[in-house]
Amino acid sequence: MDLKFLASDRVEAFVSHLMQQKTVYAPQHTGKHSVALEKVDDPAAVILDYGRTMQSVKKFFLPPRDELLSFDLTDHSFTPAAVEPLDAILLGIHSYDRAAIDRLDYNFSQGHPEKNYLTRREGVVWVGVSFEPDEFHFSGSVGISPHETAGFDAFLTRVREGYLVEVLTDAGRELVSGFELPPAERPKPAPGHFHQHIFLPQAKLNEVMAASYNNEIWAEMAEKCVGCGSCNIVCPTCYCFNVEENVDITVTGGTRERIWDGCMLREFTEVAGGEVFRGGLAERQRHRVMRKFKYLSDKTGHPWCVGCGRCTAYCTAGISIVSIVNRCVSDFEERHTTAM
Amino acid sequence: MAAKPRVAFFDFTGCEGCELNQLNFENQLLDMLEHVDIVEWREAMDDRPGEYDIAFVEGSLSTPDCIKRINDIRRRAKVLVAVGACAVQGGINGMKNTRPIEEVREEVYGKDKYLFPTLPALPLSAVVKVDVNVRGCPMTQLEFLKVFTALVMGKQPVEPNSAVCVECKLKENECVYEKGMICLGPVTRGGCDAHCPSFGQYCTGCRGLVPEPNLKAMEEILVKHGLSVNEAWKRLHLYNSHELEGLKS
Amino acid sequence: MKLNESVSTQEPQDLYLPVMSEVLEVKRLTELETLYTVQLPGGRDLGHQPGQFVEVSVFGVGEAPFSISSSPTRQGVFELGIRRVGLLTEKLAELKPGDKVGIRGPFGHGIDLEKFKGKDVLIIAGGIGLVPMRSLINYVLDRRDEFGRLIICYGSRSDQELLFTDEIAAWQEDPDVDFHVTVDRGSPQWEGKVGVITTLIPGLDLDLDRTVCCVCGPPVMYRFVLLALKSRGLPDEAIYMSLERRMKCGVGKCGHCQINHSYVCQDGPVYHYPDLKSLEEAL
Ligand SMILES: Cc1cc2nc3c(=O)[nH]c(=O)nc-3n(C[C@H](O)[C@H](O)[C@H](O)COP(=O)(O)OP(=O)(O)OC[C@H]3O[C@@H](n4cnc5c(N)ncnc54)[C@H](O)[C@@H]3O)c2cc1C
Ligand code: SF4
Ligand code: SF4
Ligand code: SF4
Ligand code: SF4
Ligand code: FES
Repeated sequence: MDLKFLASDRVEAFVSHLMQQKTVYAPQHTGKHSVALEKVDDPAAVILDYGRTMQSVKKFFLPPRDELLSFDLTDHSFTPAAVEPLDAILLGIHSYDRAAIDRLDYNFSQGHPEKNYLTRREGVVWVGVSFEPDEFHFSGSVGISPHETAGFDAFLTRVREGYLVEVLTDAGRELVSGFELPPAERPKPAPGHFHQHIFLPQAKLNEVMAASYNNEIWAEMAEKCVGCGSCNIVCPTCYCFNVEENVDITVTGGTRERIWDGCMLREFTEVAGGEVFRGGLAERQRHRVMRKFKYLSDKTGHPWCVGCGRCTAYCTAGISIVSIVNRCVSDFEERHTTAM
Repeated sequence: MAAKPRVAFFDFTGCEGCELNQLNFENQLLDMLEHVDIVEWREAMDDRPGEYDIAFVEGSLSTPDCIKRINDIRRRAKVLVAVGACAVQGGINGMKNTRPIEEVREEVYGKDKYLFPTLPALPLSAVVKVDVNVRGCPMTQLEFLKVFTALVMGKQPVEPNSAVCVECKLKENECVYEKGMICLGPVTRGGCDAHCPSFGQYCTGCRGLVPEPNLKAMEEILVKHGLSVNEAWKRLHLYNSHELEGLKS
Repeated sequence: MKLNESVSTQEPQDLYLPVMSEVLEVKRLTELETLYTVQLPGGRDLGHQPGQFVEVSVFGVGEAPFSISSSPTRQGVFELGIRRVGLLTEKLAELKPGDKVGIRGPFGHGIDLEKFKGKDVLIIAGGIGLVPMRSLINYVLDRRDEFGRLIICYGSRSDQELLFTDEIAAWQEDPDVDFHVTVDRGSPQWEGKVGVITTLIPGLDLDLDRTVCCVCGPPVMYRFVLLALKSRGLPDEAIYMSLERRMKCGVGKCGHCQINHSYVCQDGPVYHYPDLKSLEEAL
């Protein structure tokens, strides 16, 4: 593997080099404590060393509010929303967020493949960056290393004086060509250690979750959870949406829009007449966790939680998906050892 | 609704923060107003059901006279719209109504003041059936316009009922809890596009509680972030006295 | 297995754009329900199976799923029977012939007709559940020789709320249809049976070896109907059920209709009962 070196003081120049080729989106500060993926105007604003962004790259392919069509109420005609390929460089993406996109790709191309999402997915060049696991990351437990390069065109691994640059595809090669990068003098270091773990191999997790359907943990969590839906809205693999109509003030037209929705919200399953099919907070929490660790992984063979830690980091009630899963694991093991 | 809906505006003991007639009417609303007939309230008029197609009512009910009047309005109106937090959730309390909001806020959050009289002013819905709510303290013109257009179109406006947190996270706002503030967003009905957190402020809960709120869990969150149980409930009471009193009994 | 290996290779589609279609006829069925006859542009055939649904939309108001009530044997137009319950359905109730609505679909997994052919068909419909079941009923009637007996149990809250009363009258007359109806509360004029729908089941004349059954009705109905069918000895394999859930997209994308691992808009709304047993949240 051809490993190159990008010194810290040349990062800005590197970003400028990328900006000459395509629009670049990269992590930047949006508040004292928060970093978000935004379009880069100033190469100096890019932050490659960060914990997590509140919203993942998903927002570029499935925007939080996404117009589907606009309509004219005077003649009942409509115009489909213009959907363009993103056609950009996504710089400074963590491995778990790239893995989440594989899952969304699956969702939007299985069954009825969806043009809106799949069109936006085109033309993207992925430049990953390694991360130092913080108190919430646990992607290692679902098989995603901080150094995982799958899906990237180029990958930056943080070392003390800068970044080691791996070029992984032709697109990646094209990206760095013309930018002088000396060969790296040492190999890739070992990835950082995780502080959070799920104590069970992925292969057995589906079995454990199947046995946890009636665990008391769901009711216990329901006492602490306010049902605010934040854990859904920040999850990089959540894709549920609602559809709304916006009518112009003049009542001559408007738009039909889809908006992110979440299974932790009470009205998610409410139908006309007031019946709510999954009304209890315990059932909703179970559904959320099972979707990540059972329902969709049964179907695809992959966990739908990528271990980014967002749902836990942004839950004001302090509910931790890792603790929930570990509790299911320990209860399962206890039952099985006592049974023997 | 027939050709030109007949619309009336009424005002109870609100804080004047919503004051429909002082609305800085935007051009669009002026356009809209061309599609309606504004009718005046005349006390002596004999009761005629259906006299108003839409009645917008602001303010909360605090005297027996108010109660008589709202019943009159209800009888005459096909659609009754409660406008603003006072009309929707009940006055936050008598004091707030007569003083600048900032001063009240300070006092409410001050340590030892207990501001809530045992009988808070009533929301309209405590006395009559309310068809539509325009929430917020003060309500926003945009939202008022949305409801207005929907009703003129002859359609029931959609009322958002998930938490402020959803809209806040959609906008990728930094959560004010991370800045050491305390926020009622998790149990407050959205629809304001997370107005306050978008300006770096906490949500005081002006749009009322979400349906079936888990208040015990909210109390735990507030206490975990440094409030006493008493302070936590004071915060929750600010805009929700009426509902919370109802839950208790 | 890699994630992208389990993906279909179809071309991406515009999934959310409706086809503007014309309402040809509007017929009041009851105080709350209306029957609409709709035609796709150019009289194109909808190409549906009984049990499937379409997403119907009115711009500025919204979109919702509705079962197709007509049989695919009657081509060129299709029918929707819609109850007035909220935003969109109130607006639909105001439609007049010549008005346009947006149609997407047909969607979902309907009734597996191959499994029904040659069998006695037992239909259990509660309330508005008759709307989708009518599609199957008329299919069987139009292809009478492909099926065995046709047995219909229909329950309604009251006699004023009975749907398709002219068709019911015809089914009652038809010697080829074994039709039973009951109402929860009868008006003084009502001369038929009074009682919940399950009271019809014990008295049915069934040939258990050759009966297939399809159930559709309000959520509370299913468990009781199942008990009644089981006590008659009908095997689970002979039972199909059409479920209702909140739906937005109809194409397996928006997540609303999910019951455990199953999407009702894809795997349902019509399920084979043995498949439902692994879905704890279903019934
Ligand atoms: C597969 C299927 C078939 C159906 N067939 C029929 C039928 O043949 N006739 C009939 O009258 N009704 C049918 N329904 C129910 C019908 O979809 C609802 O009555 C309708 O959504 C109510 O919309 P509304 O805007 O009038 O009500 P509101 O309460 O104002 O609904 C607001 C929104 O909530 C959602 N929603 C509410 N109720 C339902 C629901 N039951 N299912 C899915 N989404 C819902 C819709 O997206 C709707 O836009 C069917 C539902 C499903 C899932
Ligand atoms: S973020 Fe926390 S409190 Fe909010 S719904 Fe999720 S688990 Fe519950
Ligand atoms: S479930 Fe939580 S930790 Fe897992 S991917 Fe979603 S937000 Fe990240
Ligand atoms: S700032 Fe308030 S509303 Fe926004 S996410 Fe945080 S708690 Fe929720
Ligand atoms: S954020 Fe809270 S206090 Fe502010 S407008 Fe919205 S509901 Fe009212
Ligand atoms: S209705 Fe959207 S997934 Fe089924």
